[in-house]
Amino acid sequence: MFPKRFDQARPFLTLGIVLLAWLFVPLAVKSFTRATFFEIQAPLVVADSYVQFLQTFWSNRMHSKDELLQAGQQVAGLIAQYDYSTQQNQQLQAEILRLENLLNLPPMPAFRFEPARVARRDFSGWWQRMVIRKGENYGIPVGAPVVFSGGVVGRVTEVHRYTAVVDLITSPTFRLAATASGDNRPVSYQGGLNDSFKSPRGIVEFVPLDIYATRTATRRLVTSGLGGVFPPGLTIGDITNLESSADGLFKLGEVQLDERLGSLTEVTVLVPLNPEEL
Amino acid sequence: MSRLIETHSSRNPRLLLFYGIISGLLTLLVCGLAYRQLFKTGLYSERERLQNQRRVIFPRPRGNIYDRDGRVLVGNRARFSVVLDLAQLRGEFRAEYRKVERNYSSMDRAERPNFDQLERISRASVVQGYLDKLNFILGRNELVRATELNRHVSQTLLLPYVLLDDLAPEEYARLIERLPVTSPLQVYTSSTRYYPFGSAAAHTLGFIGINNDPEAEDFGDEDLLTFKMKGSSGRTGLEKVFDEQLQGESGGAVYRVDPAGYKVDRPIEQRRPVQGHDISTSLDIELQQAAELAMVGRTGAAVALDIKTGEVLVLASKPDYDLNTFVPRLTQDEAKAIETSGGWLNRTIQGQYPPGSTFKVITSTAGLRSGAIEPGASKVICPGYLMVGNRRFPCDGIHGEVDLVKAIRVSCNTFFYRYGIETGPDLLAAEAHRFGFDHPTGIELPYEFSSPHVASPAWKKANMHLPWTAGDTANTSIGQGDTLVTPLQVACMVASFARGETETKPTLLHDPKRAPQHTTAIGLAPADYNAILEGLAQCYQFGTARLANVEGLHAAAKTGTAQKGRIDLAWMIAFAPIENPQIAIAVVMEGTEPDVSYHGAFFAAPIVKSILTAWKEKSEREPLKPVSFKVD
Repeated sequence: MFPKRFDQARPFLTLGIVLLAWLFVPLAVKSFTRATFFEIQAPLVVADSYVQFLQTFWSNRMHSKDELLQAGQQVAGLIAQYDYSTQQNQQLQAEILRLENLLNLPPMPAFRFEPARVARRDFSGWWQRMVIRKGENYGIPVGAPVVFSGGVVGRVTEVHRYTAVVDLITSPTFRLAATASGDNRPVSYQGGLNDSFKSPRGIVEFVPLDIYATRTATRRLVTSGLGGVFPPGLTIGDITNLESSADGLFKLGEVQLDERLGSLTEVTVLVPLNPEEL
Repeated sequence: MSRLIETHSSRNPRLLLFYGIISGLLTLLVCGLAYRQLFKTGLYSERERLQNQRRVIFPRPRGNIYDRDGRVLVGNRARFSVVLDLAQLRGEFRAEYRKVERNYSSMDRAERPNFDQLERISRASVVQGYLDKLNFILGRNELVRATELNRHVSQTLLLPYVLLDDLAPEEYARLIERLPVTSPLQVYTSSTRYYPFGSAAAHTLGFIGINNDPEAEDFGDEDLLTFKMKGSSGRTGLEKVFDEQLQGESGGAVYRVDPAGYKVDRPIEQRRPVQGHDISTSLDIELQQAAELAMVGRTGAAVALDIKTGEVLVLASKPDYDLNTFVPRLTQDEAKAIETSGGWLNRTIQGQYPPGSTFKVITSTAGLRSGAIEPGASKVICPGYLMVGNRRFPCDGIHGEVDLVKAIRVSCNTFFYRYGIETGPDLLAAEAHRFGFDHPTGIELPYEFSSPHVASPAWKKANMHLPWTAGDTANTSIGQGDTLVTPLQVACMVASFARGETETKPTLLHDPKRAPQHTTAIGLAPADYNAILEGLAQCYQFGTARLANVEGLHAAAKTGTAQKGRIDLAWMIAFAPIENPQIAIAVVMEGTEPDVSYHGAFFAAPIVKSILTAWKEKSEREPLKPVSFKVD
């Protein structure tokens, strides 16, 4: 019979042994376990998302008919605007195609647009990422750009059967080649250390010295398209301040990101038609 | 049966002896330890520090060089490279080593690679793996340079290992987007020189070379083993003269390292590099380009000065070279091509030329000051030559009756032979010395021709051990013979004359508040001075310098032709506007084409005209605001 003191310590001993054993488990087993765990967990996340959706649905049903009619009118107006924009886009696409043919330029990377609901958001200091409700079942690849109406959301870092994890533009591990609007020289954008409930921000580096931005006269930062992952011209944010680097070669500064990144419910994944482009 | 039990008595004298010995030894040990711990602590901690710490010195970006309007003549551009942090790969190196060792285990022991070789093979294999990732992203096909890698590991392990250098902006963008932030592969930026105007003012601006031993400037402990990244230092031109100002402050870091020499943590001490000071030159890149454009394909020099301040506006020497070819380094073929063309020589300050007929301004001044020439009264009948003794000295034409004004206008040698001889060689030389022809100008450039001279009896005796003759005086009075000056000296003479003074101190530094220069007055009566001025004005309007005439601009000019060995020299000097002189110009072109007779009127005048036209256009428009440049 073990003395009482040892009995009390038994759970810790067991935990220690398990952790020690885990250290020596082959990497393949660990990866498999992690993936399995995520797949098992995924329905819960998705279900939770559906419940939230249902909750929103029922709360919307509480609105009066007058409110719904008013909202419908606004939506009709928006649809008309979007129809017009679509027509304009078609004309511009045709013009771009004509110029590409004229100049014998290689075609821009083509994407398939895959809208997806956001299942879970995690904006803690370490994990700036979100889970979306589409994965391998919709052909979403790792590395695919994710956007919303305000610009870049992030990049797909993990793909599971029914879900995918998106590394957000606010994450310190997210980096892309950008350009200041109206300029063609690439600069580096990287997510910053963003605290919860604060305005999302990022860092811009290697900015040429003749580009200026202040809090009152911001400069729009857009994707360069040179990196081969994101198409050009997508909004990243606004550069709010720039200061010269110590070596005097470049400037570096802060980028104010879209506040809506914290409350996204729907995003679009840009799935390249040629997967080798990722 | 009783058991025999061994017993000890603590008072056994033999044991007491051992106690004493042991106590003594223990005391000695404790004392030794105490001595080392208490009195030698500093020494051992210093040894430990020197063994465990390494100092790395980073180069600093050089300051920019601007023209007088704030346009960047020499700047810095970013140079992107991909580097590999080998310290992060120690685990991979070990794993690869075991794998390679296993692969060779089946071989005969004698044929197996030794430890060092296995280490190198495994290291190269891991690095090639990372290089393959880059090859995939960038569509390249690079292979690891094993010798370079081994040298890096043995000599500069703490510095990042450069896998790919001087990336195109598109490549840099692809890597920024595709390399994980935490990857051992990182995009590294350094600075390199950038010359937005290519070959413009190449000799003046100069170029830089690699400096393998950049200064640490009191950073960290100098006793630490130090790794220095390559820096740069000025080799010629302004880059050399102002090297100290252009150099910034080196950056550095002190790292703690493990026994293998890999850094184990963040830097213990760190200092960021600071860019060097900028230099604002007096050059006017618009005028410089105008001059150089007019000189394309020819050999020669052009200088333009601000008459009031002595600031150099143009310093053009042809042939030249594109400074961008020096970045990152000049190839042997390019260096050979420059050598063959004669492009290394900065003809504005190193070219040694007889001044030709431009010297007639000095002869006139000397003649007028000595009384040998009287305006209006001193005349000759020019038959196209003058006999000095039994030697015939030619003139370019038959000019008939010639006074001082006409002599300057048509560049009549006969007039100047006659009155040069009358003035005398000593006075001619003295006048030239007053205009600074006997010493370098002292401009802020290296390698200026250090021994310009004016031929005189004393000079000839001292240097050639020969007596002076009247023929020598005749030659000297028209700028031929042994007088040798640089185009910059001639330009200074023109600026001095235009101000009515005798010497101009040229400078390449721009100061908007610089006070006008004032030196010794020329010492001519107004009527005498005006006579020379009238001759120069007529020369520009309808004399030998008429091809330099710019509509709407009143100027004074004088052409010249000289010979240096078998090379013809075409000279021209000018200043403008004549009513308020602001710009002084001296141009000399070398006759490089056989069977072509070089005259200042035809070969130097277009360059003077080009500079005057650019100057006039610029002075008539609004001043330019400083502009920045873009690196495409």
